[in-house]
Amino acid sequence: MIHLNNLCKTFGGRVAVDNITLHVPPGEIYGLLGHNGAGKSTAIGMMLGQVWPTSGEVQICGFDVTADRKHALRKVGAIFESPAFYDYLTGLKNLEILSAYTAPTPRRRIQEVIEWVGLSGREDSKVRTYSHGMRARLALAQALLPQPELLILDEPSDGLDPEGIHEMRQTIQRLHRELRLTILLSSHLLNEVEQLCTRIAVLNQGRMVFQGSLAQTRQREKWVRLKVGDFASAARELRAAQLIKDQRDGQFVALNENVGTDQVVRLLVGQGMSVYEIAPEEETLERFYLGLMSEGKEIN
Amino acid sequence: MLYQHLRNELWKLFGKKRTYIGFGAFLLAQNGMLLVFRFTHWQRQVEQLLDGNGYLAQDYISALTVAVLMLFPQILLLMPLYAALVGGDLVAKEAEDGTLRMILARPISRFQLLLAKWLAGVIFCAVLVAVLGGTALLFARIWFPWRNMFVYAPGMVFNVLGASEGLKLYLFSHVFLTINASVILGLAFMFSCFNMKPAAATILSLSFLFLNLVLESIPFFEQYHEWLLPYHFRIWIFIYTQPLPWARMAESSSVLLAFGATTFLIGAAGFQARDIKS
Repeated sequence: MIHLNNLCKTFGGRVAVDNITLHVPPGEIYGLLGHNGAGKSTAIGMMLGQVWPTSGEVQICGFDVTADRKHALRKVGAIFESPAFYDYLTGLKNLEILSAYTAPTPRRRIQEVIEWVGLSGREDSKVRTYSHGMRARLALAQALLPQPELLILDEPSDGLDPEGIHEMRQTIQRLHRELRLTILLSSHLLNEVEQLCTRIAVLNQGRMVFQGSLAQTRQREKWVRLKVGDFASAARELRAAQLIKDQRDGQFVALNENVGTDQVVRLLVGQGMSVYEIAPEEETLERFYLGLMSEGKEIN
Repeated sequence: MLYQHLRNELWKLFGKKRTYIGFGAFLLAQNGMLLVFRFTHWQRQVEQLLDGNGYLAQDYISALTVAVLMLFPQILLLMPLYAALVGGDLVAKEAEDGTLRMILARPISRFQLLLAKWLAGVIFCAVLVAVLGGTALLFARIWFPWRNMFVYAPGMVFNVLGASEGLKLYLFSHVFLTINASVILGLAFMFSCFNMKPAAATILSLSFLFLNLVLESIPFFEQYHEWLLPYHFRIWIFIYTQPLPWARMAESSSVLLAFGATTFLIGAAGFQARDIKS
């Protein structure tokens, strides 16, 4: 659905996106993670033909965005952080105007979408009277009007209260389930990405530092919680035996490749140490993400 | 599709209160000028001018005469200001508000979008000029009778006309005023296509016009007047001369239309090349 090949973008001398290659298959909820200024919005801008790539190729729905934007974006809807509308016009008029940039949309279809997003009864009010949550729903409505196959969401929960974030999350799941949309979700809310996405890409200072499934993020490093009488001595013994490569927080050890917890227990018991508990610790996305970011800092 | 986009642009343009500030200012200025004309020595000066040239002043101090007199300061000051304000807003305000990013997430070409916006701007100019001319005549008619017309602009026109012929020429002159307003709007529109604030686009275009006026007033540039915009903007007043200077009118119209097309194309090229970011 989305293919970015060796995509680069520089603004003056500053590299915003550095040689990104990304493939989003149909039917996925794909997360684009990264800190502020990591290049997520620039990458999305290039996907939508708003930002010209310095080099590389962007294909959406099989069409090159730079060369054939009209066909590439025909089945695409997008929502941006803090969606902007013509505040002095009604919600309905805003939808009519924005949808007409794709194709003239029958009034019946607009009403259907208004109902779907839960704005019925307020469509004839001026947008300036809308709450933040209602504006988010209106943004969703305008994105759904062209009957998209791909939805690009750039920080959709930005500025929403916890209730609004929860509602947005449920809506995204509903969109995926009921309308079978492919969704690209850009966010720095790790919790949101963890709950919604099946695959993620992580950007750090314009570079892609990870691309894969959420399951892969959990398997990347094998941490084990170890409760023993003297953790420091146990860790020293395990390192000497080359069973672990790292330790942290006085209770976690990172096992070396192909090392099982049974080997750890056997060694410690053999050394006369008491082992009270040993259990694999599942890596959270947050820890994984922070690990990637600190690796990036070390490289720089 | 262009028709649909144009309709949308007109909705956006005429849907906001900001657009009507210009109309309101015109109404205030017109009534103020009428009072000044009626109750100061301005009217007496015009009467003396007519009497001095052998015309009976009471036959020519009419609604049409006063309406044209009222047009001069408004065309010099208010019309450029409001045309430039709206032109500067057309693209830059949407970019500033973030709605441009919403539009350009859709499969519309940037050129088509700009063309619709520019056409909406030209329609705004036509409406602005029509309202300006219509209300000037209406308010003048409230205070003055419907009689013959006298048009005087130092160094350009001194003419007296019958009421019906005067009205025809009055209407005809508004076609050229619309061209003038569209050129000013197009200039601000061009700047607004680049990455700048709406106010900056308006100020740049007004500065350009002001520079033209300053250059025109410097004796050294006398032989280069044809290269400056105000020389061509004045064709609307030459409508009232007899015989009509068709060659001058054709020349100035062509220059203004070419200038308008050039500013549009420069703006379109700049807009096509720029990155739209939040």
